[in-house]
Amino acid sequence: MSTGKHRLKFEKRVTFAGWQAALISGLAIAFALALFSLIFILARINPLTAYQKMLAYAFTNRYGLPLTINRFIFLLLCTYAFIIPFRAGLWNIGMTGQFYMGALSTFAVVFAFGGKASRHADLSPELVIPLMLLAAAVGGAAFGAIAGFLRGRFNVNEIVVTMMLNSIASWLVAQMIKEGGPFMNPGGRSESFELPYAVYPPLIQEIPFTIFLALGITALLSFVLARTRIGYQIRAYGHSPQAAQYAGVSPFKIPFLVFLLGGALAGLAAYHYFAAVPGVYKISRNYGYFGDLAFYGIICGLISLGDPVAAIPVALLFGGLSIGGRFIQGELHMNFGVDYALLGVLMISLVAFQFFFRYKIVWIKTGESAHVGIHH
Amino acid sequence: MGEGILEGIKRGQTVLEARGITKRFPGVVANDRIDLEIKAGEIHAVLGENGAGKTTLMNILFGLLQPDEGEIYVGGQKVSFRSPLDAISLGIGMVHQHRKLVAAHTVLENIILGHPQAGKILNRKKAEKEIGELCEKYGFHLDLGARVWQLSEGEKQAVEILKTLYRGARVLILDEPTSALTPLETEKLLASIEAMARDELAMIPFITHKLPVVLAVSDRVTVLRRGRVTARLETKQATEASLAREMVGREVIFRIEKVQVEAGEPVLQVENLSARNDKGVLAVDGVSFVIRAGEILGLAGVSGNGQQELAEVLAGLRKAERGKVILDGKEITHASLLDRWQAGIGYIPAERIDVGSIADFSLVENVAMNFYFDDEYARYGIMDYQKIRRLTEEIIAEYNVITPGPEVKAKNLSGGNLQKLILGRVLARKPRLLIANLPTQGLDVGATEFVQNKLMEARKEKAAILLISEDLDEILSLSDWVAPIYEGRLMGLFPGDQASREEVGTLMAGLDKKGQES
Repeated sequence: MSTGKHRLKFEKRVTFAGWQAALISGLAIAFALALFSLIFILARINPLTAYQKMLAYAFTNRYGLPLTINRFIFLLLCTYAFIIPFRAGLWNIGMTGQFYMGALSTFAVVFAFGGKASRHADLSPELVIPLMLLAAAVGGAAFGAIAGFLRGRFNVNEIVVTMMLNSIASWLVAQMIKEGGPFMNPGGRSESFELPYAVYPPLIQEIPFTIFLALGITALLSFVLARTRIGYQIRAYGHSPQAAQYAGVSPFKIPFLVFLLGGALAGLAAYHYFAAVPGVYKISRNYGYFGDLAFYGIICGLISLGDPVAAIPVALLFGGLSIGGRFIQGELHMNFGVDYALLGVLMISLVAFQFFFRYKIVWIKTGESAHVGIHH
Repeated sequence: MGEGILEGIKRGQTVLEARGITKRFPGVVANDRIDLEIKAGEIHAVLGENGAGKTTLMNILFGLLQPDEGEIYVGGQKVSFRSPLDAISLGIGMVHQHRKLVAAHTVLENIILGHPQAGKILNRKKAEKEIGELCEKYGFHLDLGARVWQLSEGEKQAVEILKTLYRGARVLILDEPTSALTPLETEKLLASIEAMARDELAMIPFITHKLPVVLAVSDRVTVLRRGRVTARLETKQATEASLAREMVGREVIFRIEKVQVEAGEPVLQVENLSARNDKGVLAVDGVSFVIRAGEILGLAGVSGNGQQELAEVLAGLRKAERGKVILDGKEITHASLLDRWQAGIGYIPAERIDVGSIADFSLVENVAMNFYFDDEYARYGIMDYQKIRRLTEEIIAEYNVITPGPEVKAKNLSGGNLQKLILGRVLARKPRLLIANLPTQGLDVGATEFVQNKLMEARKEKAAILLISEDLDEILSLSDWVAPIYEGRLMGLFPGDQASREEVGTLMAGLDKKGQES
C-alpha cells in the first residue's frame, strides 16, 4: 500500500514483549465487539446498550457476578488442562472427556458412601469432600493418561485419541445417569442423584472455595514451569523433542506426565461445577453444555500463549461474556445464542490478530512509488 | 518486462552488475556500497564469513530484498526487482541451500512446477526430452521419474539447478553449493559448473568455507567482510591463505599447532560394537577401538557410513545391538544417557540447530541443557538459574560468543557462535570423553580455527576425544589416530603422523589399497 512518499510494510518481529501481546489482545477484543455490534444493529438493537447491559450483568450485578465467577473458575481449570500439555508441544483436545470422567468419579465416591439414598444422608464432610476432590482429579488424570501413554510409548497422535475418548466419556455419563443407571436421579429427569447436604462444600461470599484451588494452581503452575527442573524438561520437550532427548529428557515420561496433570485439572473442573457451585450439586441435565464449554479452555490457552497468569483475565472475560450474552439474549428477546455467537466472533478475531504477534506494521519513507512487500 | 535482455550475450560481456548496493537493518549495515560485476561465462565466487552480508546481497540480486541505495543492471539495462519473479523473468536463477522442492513429486514435476508454460501448452514429452538434453550436456545423472524424497542431497541440488536452467536462467546464484555434498558429489558438481560456464552461463557461488573449492574452479573472487567488499581479484593471484586473510581480517593459521601430549590410561574402550539405524539396517558393524586420555581419534568417512549411529550409541541415544562400551574401566553399554553425562561423557551433536540447541530458549536455558540434571545446578528439583547464568556469561566470554547478552534467544546467534556456545557448554563439564560430531561443519574460517584450537586444548587437559568429520584435512591435522569408516566398519587404524591423505581417502571410499572395490 502506498500513499505518496510513504509506504506501509509488514516487518517480521524480532523481539516481542509481554505488554505488546496484551495490547494486541485488547485490540482484538475491541475489534470483535465492534464487528459483533453489526449483528445488534441488524436486530435493531443499540449495540452500546446491549454491551452495557451485558457487561453490567456479568461483572457488577449481584446475581450475574457469582455466575461469572463460577464460570471463570471452570474455564480456568479447563485452560490449564490445555496449557500443561501445550507447553510440552502436545494438544489436549480431551478436556471434555476428562471433565466427564472427573464428574463420574466424584459422584462415585458419594455413591460408595451411600449418599444416593437420601439428601439427608449422614456423611462425614471432612472425609468425603477431600475424597471427592481426589477422585475428580484421579478420574480425569486416568482418562488423560491414556492419551499420554499412547503418545509416549507408541507415538500415537494425541489429538485423535483425546477426541475419540470424549465421545466415550459422553456416552458413559449418559449411561450412568439415565433412567435405571446407577447414578440416576430418583425422580428420573435424565440427571444424576443430588448430593447430600452434608457434603456441600463451604462458600465464601457465595463463591465456592474452589476459587482458591484454581488460583493456587495458577501460582503453582507458573512456578513449576518457570523455575523447576520438571518445568524445564516440559518446556524443552515442547520446543524440540529431539533436542530434549539429547539433553536426557525422557520422551515417554513428559507426554505421560503432562496428560496426567492436564486430565487431573479437567477432572477438578467437574468437581467445581457439579459439586461446589451453589444450586447445582448434581450432574445436571445440561452436562453436555459444560462439556462443550470445556473446549473454550483450548481457546483461552492459545490466546494466553500458554502463560498461566495471562489465562486469568482471558478466562474471566470469556466467562463473563458467556454469562452476559445469555442474559441479554433473554432480556432483549433475541432469537439466537448470543453467548456462543459472541465467543465465536471473539475467537476468530483473537486468532486473526495473532498475525501481529509475528509481524509489525512500519511506515517507510520512499522517494519513488513503491509496492507492498511482505517478508517471510 | 525486458524478456530476453540476456539473449545472444557474448562471453566476457557483463550480464549482471550491482553498483553501490547498500542495505540497512535495524542496528547493522548489512551491505555497504557493494559493487559487483559478473560476466557471461565466468565463475565468480563471492566469499565471506557468516554475517559478512552475503545472504543479504544474494537476496537483493534475486529480488527477495530491495536495496536501500544502489542500482542493479542486467545486460546493461537498469532494473528494479519487486520480487524474485522479476529476477527470474530476466534470466537470473537461484539455487537455494535449503532446497525448495516438493518432496512427494517427481523430478520432472518439480522442474516444470512454476514454469510459465506449465498448465498451458507445456508438453510433458517435450519437456522430458529438453530436460534430458540439459542433463546430458552438463553431466547430471537423474531419473526424471524418481520422487524427490528418494534423492540424495547432491541430486536434489541438481534438480534445483535444472529447474533454473529450464526456466531460461543465464545467471545462476548458488548458495553454499558444496556444503551438503559428499566429496564425490562435490567433484561432479564442480564439473557441471565448469560445463555450464563454458556455455556462456555466469555462475555465482556464495561460499563461507571450503576455500579449496573456490580456488579449484572460480575465475574471479569477490571477498566481503562486514558488509563491504575487501578484495576483488583473479583466482590465479589468490592463495588459500590470502583469501582467508581478506575474509577474516587477520592471518589465519591453517595448520593447527599440535603439542606433544603423553597419552594416559584408556578412557574409552569399544569392543565389537554393532547398532542399527532408524530403518533397522545394521549401521555400525562390529567396531572396536580404544581412545586414551589426551588422544584424538579421528573417524574419517563420508556421511551416512555409520558415524552418526556410532556417536549416538556412545552418547546413550541409541541402543547397542551387540558389543561392549567401557568408560574408565566400567562397562556402560546399557547405562542411561544422563548416567553417561554424569560419568564424564560429553557429546556435541552434528545437528547444532535441531538437536544441540533449542532456538526459542535463551542462551542461559540452552546452557542448562547439559547441567539441569546436576544437583549443583538444580537443588531439590528447583533450578538455580543465577548460577547457570553466571556459567553462561563465562562461556560467552571465554569462547568469544558474539551476542548482546545471555538472555538472547539461541535463534539469533549465527551458526559459528551457536557452535561455540555448545562447545563451551559441553567442555565446561570437563568431560573425560568428548564425542565431537562434525564440530566445524558449515562454520566460517575464523570459527573453524577457534573450535579446532579448543579441541586441542581439551586434548592437552587429558580428555579423550572422538572426532567425527567429513573433512579429511581436519582429521589429518588434529588426530593422533585416524580410522577410516565405511559402511559401519573401521577400515584400518593409522597413527596420525603416518596416515596419508590418499590412503585414508581410498579406504573411506570403500576401496582397498590398490583402489579396487573391497
